[in-house]
Amino acid sequence: MIPTLLGITIVVFAVMASAPGGISSQSLVEGQNLEPQAKKALEDYYNRLYGLDSPAPVQYLRWLNNVSPIGFTFDENREINGFSFFKGSDLGDSFRYGRPVMELIKERVPITLLLNVISIPLIYVIAIAIGVRAATHRGQSFDVGSSVVMLGLWSVPTMLTGVMLIGFFSSDQYWHWFPTSGLSQREALDMAFLPYWSSFVDVLWLFLYSAVGAMLMVGLSRLESLPWRCGAMGALGLVMGILMADALPGESGVVAYLLLGAALALLFTLIAYTDYLALRLVVMGSIGVATGTVLFFMFQSEGFVRGFFLDRSWHLILPVLCLTYGGFAFLTKLTRTAVLENLLADYARTARAKGVSEKDVLWRHVFRNSLLPLITVSATLLPGLLGGSVIVESIFSIDGMGKLAIEAVKARDRELVLSITLISGVLTLVGYLIADLCYALADPRVSYD
Amino acid sequence: MNNKAEAVEAETTQAEMQLSERAANRSYAAQVLREAFTQWGARFGLFWIALLAAVAVFAPFLANSHPLLVSEGSVVSSPMLRYMTIGDFVMLSVFITVVILLFINIRFYKKALILFVMGTLTAIIAFMLVSPPQLTVYDQYRAKQAAGDYEWVIHAPVPYSPKDYIRDEGDTGLEKPLGSESRTHWFGTEENGSDVLSRMIHASRIALGIGFVATGIAMLIGIIIGGLMGFFSGIVDMVGMRLVEIFEAVPTLFLLLTFVAFFDRSLYAMMVIIGITSWPGYARFVRAEFLRLRQQEFVQAATACGLPLRSILFRHMLPNGIAPILVAASFGVASAILAEATLSFLGLGLVDDPSWGQMLNQAVQSSTFNWWMAFFPGGAIFLTVFAYNLMGEALRDAIDPNLKKSAS
Amino acid sequence: MLLQVENLKTHLRAGNSIVKAVDGVSFSIDKGEIFCLVGESGSGKSITALSVIQLIPKDICNHPDGRIAFRCGALDGSGERAVLDMLTLSEEEKRQVCGARIAMIFQEPMTSLNPVFTIGDQIIEVLQIHWPEMSDAEAHKRAIAALKQVQIPDPEVRVDEYPHRLSGGQRQRVMIAMAVACEPDLLIADEPTTALDVTVQAEILRLMKELQKRKGMSILFITHDFGVVAKMADRVAVMRQGKIVESGTLEQVLHQPQHDYTKQLLAALPENLKRQRDLKLIETPSRKESVVHEMNEPPLIELQQLEVYFPIKKGLFRRTVDHVKAVDGIDLKIPEGQLLALVGESGCGKTTLGRAILRLIDSTAGSISFNRQVITHLNRKEMIPLRRGMQIIFQDPMSSLNPRMTIVSTLIEPMAVHGIGASKEERIEIARKILQRVQLEGEHLWRYPHEFSGGQRQRIGLARALVLNPKFIVCDEVTSALDVSVQAEVLQLLLELRAEKNLTLLFITHDISVVEYISDEMAVMHKGKIVERGPTDDICRNPQKKYTQDLLAAVPRLIL
Repeated sequence: MIPTLLGITIVVFAVMASAPGGISSQSLVEGQNLEPQAKKALEDYYNRLYGLDSPAPVQYLRWLNNVSPIGFTFDENREINGFSFFKGSDLGDSFRYGRPVMELIKERVPITLLLNVISIPLIYVIAIAIGVRAATHRGQSFDVGSSVVMLGLWSVPTMLTGVMLIGFFSSDQYWHWFPTSGLSQREALDMAFLPYWSSFVDVLWLFLYSAVGAMLMVGLSRLESLPWRCGAMGALGLVMGILMADALPGESGVVAYLLLGAALALLFTLIAYTDYLALRLVVMGSIGVATGTVLFFMFQSEGFVRGFFLDRSWHLILPVLCLTYGGFAFLTKLTRTAVLENLLADYARTARAKGVSEKDVLWRHVFRNSLLPLITVSATLLPGLLGGSVIVESIFSIDGMGKLAIEAVKARDRELVLSITLISGVLTLVGYLIADLCYALADPRVSYD
Repeated sequence: MNNKAEAVEAETTQAEMQLSERAANRSYAAQVLREAFTQWGARFGLFWIALLAAVAVFAPFLANSHPLLVSEGSVVSSPMLRYMTIGDFVMLSVFITVVILLFINIRFYKKALILFVMGTLTAIIAFMLVSPPQLTVYDQYRAKQAAGDYEWVIHAPVPYSPKDYIRDEGDTGLEKPLGSESRTHWFGTEENGSDVLSRMIHASRIALGIGFVATGIAMLIGIIIGGLMGFFSGIVDMVGMRLVEIFEAVPTLFLLLTFVAFFDRSLYAMMVIIGITSWPGYARFVRAEFLRLRQQEFVQAATACGLPLRSILFRHMLPNGIAPILVAASFGVASAILAEATLSFLGLGLVDDPSWGQMLNQAVQSSTFNWWMAFFPGGAIFLTVFAYNLMGEALRDAIDPNLKKSAS
Repeated sequence: MLLQVENLKTHLRAGNSIVKAVDGVSFSIDKGEIFCLVGESGSGKSITALSVIQLIPKDICNHPDGRIAFRCGALDGSGERAVLDMLTLSEEEKRQVCGARIAMIFQEPMTSLNPVFTIGDQIIEVLQIHWPEMSDAEAHKRAIAALKQVQIPDPEVRVDEYPHRLSGGQRQRVMIAMAVACEPDLLIADEPTTALDVTVQAEILRLMKELQKRKGMSILFITHDFGVVAKMADRVAVMRQGKIVESGTLEQVLHQPQHDYTKQLLAALPENLKRQRDLKLIETPSRKESVVHEMNEPPLIELQQLEVYFPIKKGLFRRTVDHVKAVDGIDLKIPEGQLLALVGESGCGKTTLGRAILRLIDSTAGSISFNRQVITHLNRKEMIPLRRGMQIIFQDPMSSLNPRMTIVSTLIEPMAVHGIGASKEERIEIARKILQRVQLEGEHLWRYPHEFSGGQRQRIGLARALVLNPKFIVCDEVTSALDVSVQAEVLQLLLELRAEKNLTLLFITHDISVVEYISDEMAVMHKGKIVERGPTDDICRNPQKKYTQDLLAAVPRLIL
């Protein structure tokens, strides 16, 4: 683990040092409108402060010594005055922000982690729900359809989704349903954690609205008759589409009404059409809850304080959506292959020969074995998500580590770039470790002795 | 392999025998390709990539401010041809050669040789003969046409060059598709007022070029390192695997960002950078493939026959390992194109050349949302990536004997 | 009558074609009887068994005709006898029959148990499915009893073990324990011992017979091995291309076969081949002389204290903690012209030894000399000229030929390297001749390996070894993937070629009956060491070492 981390930082440092005009005091001073003498003085100051005049390997070793908890200590004149085993590690100061890197990272890392920690379980739940179904209904319309859709989703660049979502759902030109940027509104920081209503009756009303919505939709989703189910959902979609077109700012043409109505009607009919009951229940139930809640807030919204939690969730919806779809698209295909392979395995046939019902064969025998490749992949999922959060954070202006990374490389901030690399390396390796442990828990064949 | 499949397979040998009679004298590679491209997905992918390649090659003919042909004072001239660069000519000649070679039945390496010779020859000839003017004034044609200097003029289908910035149109230059009365911009204009469709047509060259070259570089490094690891194992393997782990432990995008930010941002640098940040996957893959192949009995037999190492590696091992590597490459091209788009989107891409990702960035850069800047370039990225993924998927299914058997 | 199968037809869908895997099969099994279904691969015997227990996925098979009447207690638990037609049962009824009334064990014990559950859990599962009211404690006790019944040592401890800790034979015992836990009326055994070693096979067969006697159940036994049939069966049916060609009692079928196919199969068995050869040998008693003659000459191959160890690496730094001693100090001399058979069970190191002799695997210690030249320390380049004299033929006909090369390239490439034949045309001519020698046609040169059957591929492998005119060939389990009749042809071809070209052969196999047929000398290998070596007839008649005695006793013989 430590050699790998060393290797990572060496690679990144080598890139920076070997670049033409890589890290030097000149590049820091550049662009500032200064007298030549002042410029020289500033360069000297930076050289002294960050040791930029020493050869690259020395710079690296010095940085390494600062970072590692064990190492040499220096006096004011930068002379070695001793060797300490617990001098503590120091990531240095950022060139750009002039603040300790540690402080910056402490601010930014939790935000990125928050995004990832929400995304990973979502990715797994969706991937397993769809992948298992596709495998058990191999070759049928659900399987073929979901395969194509997932491959399509996997190919949609995150930037495109992000830009489209922010453009249509957060800008004033279309529906301003979600906030444009950041992770919370300024005023929400002062609010209580949970939402607050002025009267208890309002809470009851809210529950009533969403419960009625949910019950109606759940009832509809359990309807046996396909034409009725599809018809009702199609009509609902049409109404919603027209309402959406109506909500557009300014005059919306007939085309918008027709297009949105038809699109939503089609989408809803498709949801109603699938014979995957669980999926239908969940999706239609959530549509019901959402509709009920929205209706409630259309009629009464006085005396309601959003609270920090709701505000945060509201800000997180679009970024998390952007971050997850690629992951679950990929994982769904993997789940499908794994389950399919195990359904055809010898032990599954043994179980069937024992008289185990097909449902138990799937969930008791096959599923646990199919989890193993998914656990292995979870190790590589984390670096992917960290990379993805760079894009998502810069689109949604979230001050996380990804955005910090872009700023750091743009400013050629040596300490910051190295530290971010180090931290992301550590996070990735921790992810590997967790994946290994989970694997050992799930598979009795692996033992660490 | 499961027993049932085996049993079923045993029972189907008869049917297979009949099939194999039909497939007699056809090599494995040809079979795999046939099988992969009978699927509609792969066909769509191939169609889109071929279309894109054609668009990329004929970009100067499709989108150009220079008229294709003009008659001025009864002298017919072609400003477009005058402004064509060496690269344009090489691309054209290579493309035409490829199309011709597709219909000629000769050995693959001969085709490659002919292609290479044609490319170099055109480059040399073009280098000697072609010298496009340094300075281009696009407005001269519009001015002359308005003044009626031309008797007749044939414009390209999209009569705007990608760098034909029309800054005198309003404040931002951003304009909706068909939003202007005086000009026809099918896909609108970008912030400097140049035509989006034209930029997209020319950007397809960059996307395809980066996809191919970067993946080529990554594969070359990956195959060399992975092959060495797989064949020699031992200490070479250990050092190599550590290297792979190091590169895999940092999110690729971080690495890319660092590279791009510190190095120069030309097209070629971009290709190299994307190439050298994505090799570890191939190395790991090739290593596993070589380890598997080394145990195969036909490789052992080749060794036992005393064949030289060169023959064992390149005649016996590589051709059998190449199919899965090709699958990986197909997905790899998709991710290289995505990487370029991402970098351009983050403002770390090519400085002046048109790129899909950079246009996508303009969709929300100003305070308003310009949907055409998201929809068209973003759609192009999506379709291209999707096409490569579809082909990769179909190829993978075709070479996977396990899947073939279980898919009824 | 327990089971009556009438005119069963099972059609499988493979891609767009339909395969008539079982095409009108009728047989019946009485209570307490062992019924053997014998046939070569692809004869439809496994599909018949799977049809009886209805385990083929519905989406790939259908039964256009037939009836499978199974007589057992009624499913409602009233204790009455009822006749069920397995083809028309509902899913729910089928589940009640499977595991409780009809149980099945499979060929691959290594993969037939779920790796993430303990063996106890897997036995308890079947008990609680069919007796839902059974308590956990009771089921646990029953599971231990079931394990004890199949003679697993320490059943109380082993019950909590995961399958990967058990050997193949033990896993098959667990499978049997699971199958008989609910006291089924019919046990279907689909090649249950094919993947096991001879000694383990003997124990498993004995165990099955004993359980069958004690519980009075019937067994439908699927196998390709007539030796096993002779040991197990009360009645036998021979299958070919989805049809039963002959059936009757064991005596009838084995001793008075009526159908040509049965006769042909029986004649192809190595034991019977040997008998034929022995009859001929009386006329030409030259073997003993040649042996004496050979002893005076220096051996072609000589091994001294050869060791091949594979390191076991563990832990963070991949340190070598131990070694697998695949070949552990072997001295061996093979005189020129001899056919030495190397016999051993799986994992005894016989394949490693074969490859080490050819320097395909590096040895750890000891020396190998070929033709009086020590070759242990030669490097890759220095080995190349010597490789002409020593060749190898492999077990798996699927993977032993490069799938991307036509047969002609496979054959002429080594010739070009070793300078045989002056021009390409000449080499092709040589290749054509050799191909014809191994009973293939010249036009086969231009085909790819996937267009050939297993036996044909094995002949091509032989041709590849022969193009270099070697003195010495290692035959590594060359016939174990082939059907009996094909095996007989390949073995005969090998013997002819040996006589013709005066080849020295090291014939590696696990099959004693093949050894008896083919070889003059044999060596028995066990745990990396050679246990016993001598003339084949002597060892087979009078084995000296305990291990050899056990091995020979375990071989299922056809002679009753």
